[in-house]
Amino acid sequence: MARNKFDIDETLETPFDIKHLKRALTYAGRYKKRIFLSLFISVIASVTGLLSPLIVQYAVDNCFSSEGIPMLTLCAAGLLACIVVSVFLSQTRSKMMTRVGQDIIYDIRKDLFRHMQELPFEYYDSRPHGKILVRVINYVNSVSDIMTNGIINFVLETVNILFITIFMMFVCWQLALTVLCGLPIYGAIIMFIKNRQRKAWQKVSNKSSNLNAYLHESIVGVQISQVFTREEVNAEINDKLAKSYRSAWMKAVGYSNLVWPATDVVSISTRAAIYLIGLLFMPGVSLGTILAMGDYSGRFWQPLMQLSNLMNTFINAVAYLERIFEMLDEPASIKDKPGAKEMPEIKGDVHFRDVTFAYENGVNVLEHLSFDVKAGQSIALVGPTGAGKTTIVNLISRFYDLNGGKVLIDDSDISEVTLHSLRSQMGIMLQDSFIFSGTIMDNLKYGRLDATDEEARAACRIVGIDDYITTLKDGYRTKVSERGGGLSQGQKQLIALARTILSDPKILVLDEATSSIDAKTERYLQNGIDHLLKGRTSFIIAHRLSTIRSCDRIMYVSDKGITESGTHDELIAKRGDYYKLYTAQAV
Amino acid sequence: MFLLRWLWKNMKGDRLIYCTALCMTVVCQAMHLIAPNITRQIIDTFLVGEEAAENLRNGTDKLLLMLAAMIGFTLLRCVVQYSSNMCYERTSQGLIYRVRKVLFDNIEKQDAGFYDTHRTGDVMTVVTGDLEMVRHSIAWIIKTTLECVVLYTATMVFFFTIDWLMALCMMALTPFILLITKGFRRAVGPFYVDLREKLSAMNTAAEENISGNRVVKAFAREDFEIEKFDKCNKAYNEANKKAAFTWLKYFPALEITAQSLSVVCVLFGGIFVAWGRMTFGEYATFAGLVWTLSNPMRTLGNIVNDYQRFTASAHKIIELYYGRPFIVEREDAVDVPGRLKGKVEFRDVSFGYGNTEILHDISFTAEPGETIAIMGATGSGKTSLINLIPRIYDVTAGQVLVDGHDVRKMKLKQLRGGIGIATQDVLLYSDTIEGNISFGNIDLPEDEVIKYAKAADAHGFIEKTSDGYDTIIGERGVGLSGGQKQRISLARALAVKPSVLILDDTTSAVDLETERNIREALSNLDFPCTKIMIAQRITTARSADRIIVLKDGTIAEMGTHEELIRQNGYYREVYELQK
Repeated sequence: MARNKFDIDETLETPFDIKHLKRALTYAGRYKKRIFLSLFISVIASVTGLLSPLIVQYAVDNCFSSEGIPMLTLCAAGLLACIVVSVFLSQTRSKMMTRVGQDIIYDIRKDLFRHMQELPFEYYDSRPHGKILVRVINYVNSVSDIMTNGIINFVLETVNILFITIFMMFVCWQLALTVLCGLPIYGAIIMFIKNRQRKAWQKVSNKSSNLNAYLHESIVGVQISQVFTREEVNAEINDKLAKSYRSAWMKAVGYSNLVWPATDVVSISTRAAIYLIGLLFMPGVSLGTILAMGDYSGRFWQPLMQLSNLMNTFINAVAYLERIFEMLDEPASIKDKPGAKEMPEIKGDVHFRDVTFAYENGVNVLEHLSFDVKAGQSIALVGPTGAGKTTIVNLISRFYDLNGGKVLIDDSDISEVTLHSLRSQMGIMLQDSFIFSGTIMDNLKYGRLDATDEEARAACRIVGIDDYITTLKDGYRTKVSERGGGLSQGQKQLIALARTILSDPKILVLDEATSSIDAKTERYLQNGIDHLLKGRTSFIIAHRLSTIRSCDRIMYVSDKGITESGTHDELIAKRGDYYKLYTAQAV
Repeated sequence: MFLLRWLWKNMKGDRLIYCTALCMTVVCQAMHLIAPNITRQIIDTFLVGEEAAENLRNGTDKLLLMLAAMIGFTLLRCVVQYSSNMCYERTSQGLIYRVRKVLFDNIEKQDAGFYDTHRTGDVMTVVTGDLEMVRHSIAWIIKTTLECVVLYTATMVFFFTIDWLMALCMMALTPFILLITKGFRRAVGPFYVDLREKLSAMNTAAEENISGNRVVKAFAREDFEIEKFDKCNKAYNEANKKAAFTWLKYFPALEITAQSLSVVCVLFGGIFVAWGRMTFGEYATFAGLVWTLSNPMRTLGNIVNDYQRFTASAHKIIELYYGRPFIVEREDAVDVPGRLKGKVEFRDVSFGYGNTEILHDISFTAEPGETIAIMGATGSGKTSLINLIPRIYDVTAGQVLVDGHDVRKMKLKQLRGGIGIATQDVLLYSDTIEGNISFGNIDLPEDEVIKYAKAADAHGFIEKTSDGYDTIIGERGVGLSGGQKQRISLARALAVKPSVLILDDTTSAVDLETERNIREALSNLDFPCTKIMIAQRITTARSADRIIVLKDGTIAEMGTHEELIRQNGYYREVYELQK
């Protein structure tokens, strides 16, 4: 798979088209009613707004004399009333639109996160995590305004332009056409800017993604950087990324800032053209008409200017929007088949039938692998690192789909049942024993949310970490996190193990579950694990032979398959690869 | 004020541009006020004036000239405005660039203590969302404030020259605006502090979900995660609404007061005209310029709103900006030039986090070239002990000495530069394999990269990957098996050719044959080096010059393999287990 790293721009697979816009609008569509209502309120507010100049006009014409003062006071009161009404209307509108806008962001983010949970390992393995993070958090924030106020303003301004155009046509169609002549010129300028602008903002989103990806890795790996005294080199890389972000931004904003002056100049020019043509070439037209048309042309371009501003925001938002949609469109390659059944309660038979698997096309990790495990058996997988031990256990939990063959649990093909019903019956302890921030108890119960505290403690007693936890000041309520909290790697592993035990799985997978635990603790742990293995099918990957010896069956994984299989004694007698491995360990 | 000073400080280099931009803003505002006059002149001269027809007949040239002036003036204004905008952008980009640099340096320098309390998502929020707010403040808040002040003052001065009483009437509303704004400011502040807390919490939830995606899937906890994130998402959504609604609560008062200016204008203007105090023309001037007073007053609310938001973010940035780690190089650090000899000595060392003491009275010496193995039960303090050598943590009592110097008195770069460490939690970067191996020594030629990969017994599997040494590996090394990650991490440690090599259980996940290969390679390194290694396997430990067994933070046993076997302690027990 093509992996991405922090300084590689992600190419965008799909060009932007109107579909994206439609899709974005579906989010707004859920709030149709409120948006229309807001639009309606806006119209009323504008009408009320139009009343004010009329009142002022009336007052100026009739009340600017000593006798007129009572009437003048009345007019002032009327004016104030107009203002109050229109202000409260726009407050109502803003409240509505704030709600809608925030809810749209919430919806998009929710969908995005939900989709993220369905994405396979490859998605997370093939790009820096910081790039995923900024999409869910930062990008989503930047699209809200365009979806709410953007839509309303777009409609209002468009209506505005239409009205003004019709009005101008009635007053003097020749001069109206003069104004409209500005449109093609304006359109050409905007098109010119727009194409460049879009590319430029895409670049900005790429650069900011790179910058944040590197930042994220730097935070996560800070201790490594320190012990390798890489601070200066890292600072230089960060500097380079920050610089390219800055120049991308400057370029993009350079285009965006052009839009407004362009409108301004075109607007003024058409006004000049009206005076010129009206005065010099159209002797029949009254001066009043020319005066009015000059005024209207200003009012024609005003909404256009608003629209161009809107376009600016829009193009900016689209650069983020298309990234969001791209992520939403990322296929969840491992998902429930249509009509997938619930996995019945697992008894524990596991069958591999002619399984072939490759992470990358053409490089098979496993070829034509078949084996059967009876319910309740414990299986140790041994063999050189990178031979495919982890791959085999990952296939049992359907973390990847096969390139050929079948994996059956009991009699169900695991690709035919729902993922949730399959995985929730399995207990998988991975090499990566990730600890979430929260209390130790929260972490333990991650395996089974409805477990009682006592059950969680019992699991800790099995792995022998209960004593340690109780010595902590806050005991099981001690706050821990992936990096902090003063837990050693071994202790984290023990907690992760207790977490798996607590989930009471039907099939247990332990992938290097005890690698960071010292031999003596492991010995102690062995009793607990033996107890755990009873009555469960289990797969154990370990390098320490003391762990392996007690399993029912040992499979030696190498050469894309299983080369030796049997009990410890059988394999020792065979004097093959396992024997070699075993004797290498002997002190 | 402190915030402004802080902004000014970080504007260094762009200050002149910024001031120019501010000046241009003033010019621009002035041009805005002047522009309508040109149009009016054209109208007066050629359209409505008494001699309009006459003027038109005789002065076509003049008309053309004036129209050209109209367009020219607009062009000029646009150029000024565009330049000033670009200057603001440049300054704000320059500012966040500089702040980002300092933040990054600080992030890199912060010690483990800092990261025990600051989650990744929290730090990410500061450098993404908060920094964006600061950029916005430079590009928008200050500029808009200036525009408002200029417009307001200029108009006010102008008004006073026309009629002081009318001007006073127009000014009368200003105190109300200020009062309302002040109330608003106090009300909205806490909401923005809360808002960014919620953002930070959401960032952390998403970050952990991404980093822990394997565990989530392993436990089929997707629904639980969705629910957990949904809570954060909802909380953020509500915090946003709360802040916005606070603004909307004050909005009518502000807006009505500002717009009432036109009421004041027509009412008092009318009365004064009726009294004969003002001419009609003077009234028209006031009426025509009402917007120049009401607009700044309306904008004030927005400015305060954004300013409060900026303050909430800026405080978080400044916390990180000025946050100093506890572990820093001393001013009078001794200079130890050249390659370290590699002698490591612990003298009565004690160490603890907070109130819990992890290590007590540890003393031992590793002579240059010696190998020390450290063993002990989980949680006995092995990793804490080795973390004290490169000063990931500092001792709470006693001394750690390297080449006879207290590590706290050494230059950090010289100390750490002489140490190669392969940590237990293998963190690889999403970079090529070669980039990861040469992480601490970026100038390492390719053949040496391969040499150290071979020493770590990693060459074999690297060659089998699709792009060999140019294969990009995922963040944290995902996609590689535990043993493969450990071997790359070991190669990375070797590649700096350290005087002191620290291995924290580096071979726990590799198979035994690989481990033997690595052991052999380590004893034949082409540079002199003291090795301190945490091990769980007797095979790894037995050939060490000295084996230290830790128990509850103290040295329980120390000696060679033969000596410890005779002692009947922990070592003997483990030996029996692994026999």
